[in-house]
Amino acid sequence: MNRPALCLSSLCAVVMLLAGCADQQRSESALEAARVSFYKVKEAPEVLRNSPKDVLRAGESLARADRYAGYWGSSEDVIHYAYLSQRYSDIASESSQLLVNQAHIAKLEGERQRLQQALRDAKLLSVQQQGQAQDEQMVSLTRNQGERGLVMTLGDVLFEPAQASLNASANRTVLKLVQFLQLNPRRIVRIEGYTDNQGNQPSNLALSRERAQEVANVLEDLGVNKQRLQVVGYGEAYPLAENASQRGRAQNRRVEIVFSDDQGQLSPAR
Amino acid sequence: MRNRHHCILALSLALAGCAVDPVPNEQLRLSEQALVQARAVGATEQVAEMRLAEQQLARAQKNMAEQDYKRARVLAEQAELDARLAESRVLTAKSQAQLVELQARITRLRKQLGDLQ
Repeated sequence: MNRPALCLSSLCAVVMLLAGCADQQRSESALEAARVSFYKVKEAPEVLRNSPKDVLRAGESLARADRYAGYWGSSEDVIHYAYLSQRYSDIASESSQLLVNQAHIAKLEGERQRLQQALRDAKLLSVQQQGQAQDEQMVSLTRNQGERGLVMTLGDVLFEPAQASLNASANRTVLKLVQFLQLNPRRIVRIEGYTDNQGNQPSNLALSRERAQEVANVLEDLGVNKQRLQVVGYGEAYPLAENASQRGRAQNRRVEIVFSDDQGQLSPAR
Repeated sequence: MRNRHHCILALSLALAGCAVDPVPNEQLRLSEQALVQARAVGATEQVAEMRLAEQQLARAQKNMAEQDYKRARVLAEQAELDARLAESRVLTAKSQAQLVELQARITRLRKQLGDLQ
């Protein structure tokens, strides 16, 4: 062999050796990371109980990576199986968390239903204690507005002044609404908030939306499925009366509930 | 002359190496299935693992076409677990959101009950 060739081949050897070293370092750190992840899930009784299969596979892949680490030139395989092991560990802890959450959700769901029933009972009781006459006038009766369909108006007096929350006098109306929706399970509603023209436009728009949302929240709390409730805020648009008088303004501050037909077909939004 | 012999030996060894790896059709099918399932629960490119799964699978398919079966199998195996992890992460995140919403509703119900009493 002549000198340049010797140089070239020894250079090759050095490069290969260095590359080999780099590979080995890479595979060792991958192996170490996989090992740490595996011990973490193995030591977590919850994960072990909830996803035993994935923990097992994480262990198997780690063992394979370990075996390959004993051979020269197999760092690709070490990295591969370390990667798989790491993935299995992550999947194990992630799906264990899912099961934990689901159990928690089931428990809270029971709690929610119990509270919902309690709230319905409490509202009914408070309605019975209240005089009947006083709130009849607060609710303009449901009217058929032609193209818009059946519309029910909740007057301003049902809300706390300038706030989104409903007051106790709204209970009767709200209960009626819930009852109606329970008897007509295919009907859905669009809840539309409106204000008068006092104050600035953005805050009116926000208040109208918040009031509509509040009605939706209360209906949901009483057991109406969220999917049946659409919420819109129109602010000071579409007034019912002149904003010039106090009486007119009070009429304009309202929430309208637009009912769909009994097939769940709602009139288009304004 | 000896060099040539070496070359032939090395070449045949390399070929033998290739021939040992079976065509990983089944693994590719499994990986594709895992990706489909992850997408079905709503894993999108927003999920880092899902992006990775798609890249790895695409590379595996490219290697299949080039008949580099070993690399194709390795990448497909990784893509399968990437997709499964993406799926798990999405499901867990969803349940977490559901939990938060439920807790908020319970707080609201408690408050309303308190107001009435």
